[in-house]
Formats: sequence, C-alpha cells, structure tokens
Amino acid sequence: MQRLIVWVLFAMLFGSCSQSGKQEETTAEESQTEQIVKATIQELLAQPADYNGKEVAISGMVTHVCKHGGQKCFVLADDGETQIRIVPAGDIDEFKIDLEGSTVAFKGTFKVLNPVQAEALEADHDSKEHHETEMSHSQAEKADYFIEAVDFKELTQ
Amino acid sequence: MKWRKWNRWIHRELGYLFFGMSIIYGISGIALNHGVARHWNPGIITRSVSYDYNRSITKTDVTREVIEEILEITGEKNSFKQYYFPTSDDLMIYLKGGHINVHMPSGTISVTRVRNRPVFNEVNYLHYNKPKKLWTWFSDLFALGLVLMAISGLFLVKGKKGITGRGGLTTLIGIFIPLIFLAIYLWF
Repeated sequence: MQRLIVWVLFAMLFGSCSQSGKQEETTAEESQTEQIVKATIQELLAQPADYNGKEVAISGMVTHVCKHGGQKCFVLADDGETQIRIVPAGDIDEFKIDLEGSTVAFKGTFKVLNPVQAEALEADHDSKEHHETEMSHSQAEKADYFIEAVDFKELTQ
Repeated sequence: MKWRKWNRWIHRELGYLFFGMSIIYGISGIALNHGVARHWNPGIITRSVSYDYNRSITKTDVTREVIEEILEITGEKNSFKQYYFPTSDDLMIYLKGGHINVHMPSGTISVTRVRNRPVFNEVNYLHYNKPKKLWTWFSDLFALGLVLMAISGLFLVKGKKGITGRGGLTTLIGIFIPLIFLAIYLWF
C-alpha cells in the first residue's frame, strides 16, 4: 500500500513537472513570438489603448531632460510639436542632460494610466511647482500616457 | 570595566574608518535635502549669458545660415547639435553641454551652459548608490557602523554627563524631534 502511495505521488510529481515544462515551453514560444512594436509617436498617441502595455520602439529628438535626477525626458515627434514622456526603468537609473538635442531610439513599454492614476499624477505635478511657466513639454509631462524605457541608444550626438 | 574599554575602542576605530564616508553622506545629504525641496539643483550648474541678435525673425526665416549666424554670435559654432521651435516665438538650438534660446520677435539670445557640479556630482553618485555592486555592501557596512557608533557613543562617558544623567535627556530629545515631525507631517 505504501509503495502504491509512493508511486502515485511520484506519478503526480512527474505529471506536474512535465505539465509545467510544457507551460514553460509555451511561455517561451509566446515570448519569442511577442514582438517589439515599432511605431511613431503620433501612431502611439492616435490609438493609445491599442498599444497600452505593449513593448514599443520609438525614436526622436530629446527636447528636455528633468534636471532634478533625470527621472524623465521628452521626445519630439516628427510633426515638431507633439512630445511624449519617457521614464527610466530596468537598468536605466536616470537620463543624462547630455541627451538634450540628441536623436535617441528608446525601447520600452507604452503605458496609459487609468483615470485614478492620471488624477494622482496631475495632483502630484501641480504640488511640485515643476516649472514656473508653461513649457513645450508641459502637456506631455501631465499626459496619462508615457513610455517606461528599458533601453536607449543615441543615434546622433 | 573591560566592556567600556572595548566600547571606546569600537567607537574610536569606527570613527576613524568611516570619517570619509560620514563627510560624503553628510554633504550629499544636505545637497539631496535641498534638491528634493527644489531649492537648488545639487547635480548641475547652469550659467546663462544674453546676446542681442539685433533683428526680429519668424519661424519661416530660420535657415541653416541663420542658425550659423547665431552660433557665430554666441561663439558656439563647434557645439551645435539640433534645433526646434518650442513655441511659435521661440527657437531652441541645442549645444553639446547646453542650449541657446532665441526669442524671435525681440531677437534676444540666451545661451545656457550646463555642467556637472564638481564634488556634489560625485558624492551624490555615491549616496544614491549608483555604482551598485560592491559599493552596496560597503555603504551597508557604513550604515551598520553608524548604528554601532551611535550605540557605543551613548556609553562613552560615565556619571552626571553620561547616559544616566544629562546625556540621557539629550538622547531622549534627539529621539523625540523626528517623532514630532512624523506626528505633524505623517501621522496626524
């Protein structure tokens, strides 16, 4: 009887192991097929919900890097007006001010805040007196969408 | 008593060992305090100089020649990166290590040079644990050393001025001050 229980347990363990192995394989396959979406800033902002949570790659000129710790920077779209906020994530600690005026390619996750998070962001922004005057990136700074960058490369210096 | 001798030894040796670290964390602590409060930027120094372009321009007037002329006036010909128009009245020319803002209707040119603030840039780099790796462990050791120095410091002096006398009262005041701030700003 004891031997039978041991065999049943062994079979269950084996079964669960092979199942998790299959799951791992499937996840690996899925991650392999998951692709980075190359998009322009205008494309992202035209249909933000479509890109929410997706890994994206964008490039453009960095117009401004936050001087207080480099915890965000802003990238200009091809139209010369629209900007998007990029925040550091992964191994990126901060953005250096030297990036201002450089064309940079960023890779990261496009995120759209839900209304509660967006409201909190706006309240936080208002309380911190970021800039005395309205800046060209102010709209992007308060926007409920941004990219959490995990990698970037300067294309021009 | 023998334990007092050891206590004094620990306090003295840790004090010597972590003198440099205490200075680094003390200076950067003040800098970060005021950086967070936005009183000043401890990481960088910005210097602005104004020039006069002597003429009014519009967005459509801006050509490569105009940009080069402005770079010539400001002496920044070798540091040009790119330019764009943040507003319909402003032209922003990016430089290596700064930027030029041209208010086009008035022709006012403002050159801002940005550079890392010496000393503060370095001490903040360490305080923020930017090096990571082995620095994490050494700064942990320093933090532990601070705790040991604080505890051993309580028992350096015996008698009226020691922990059982005036020293104890001062210690209590020092504990209550942050508690009062927490009570005012966080708890209630």
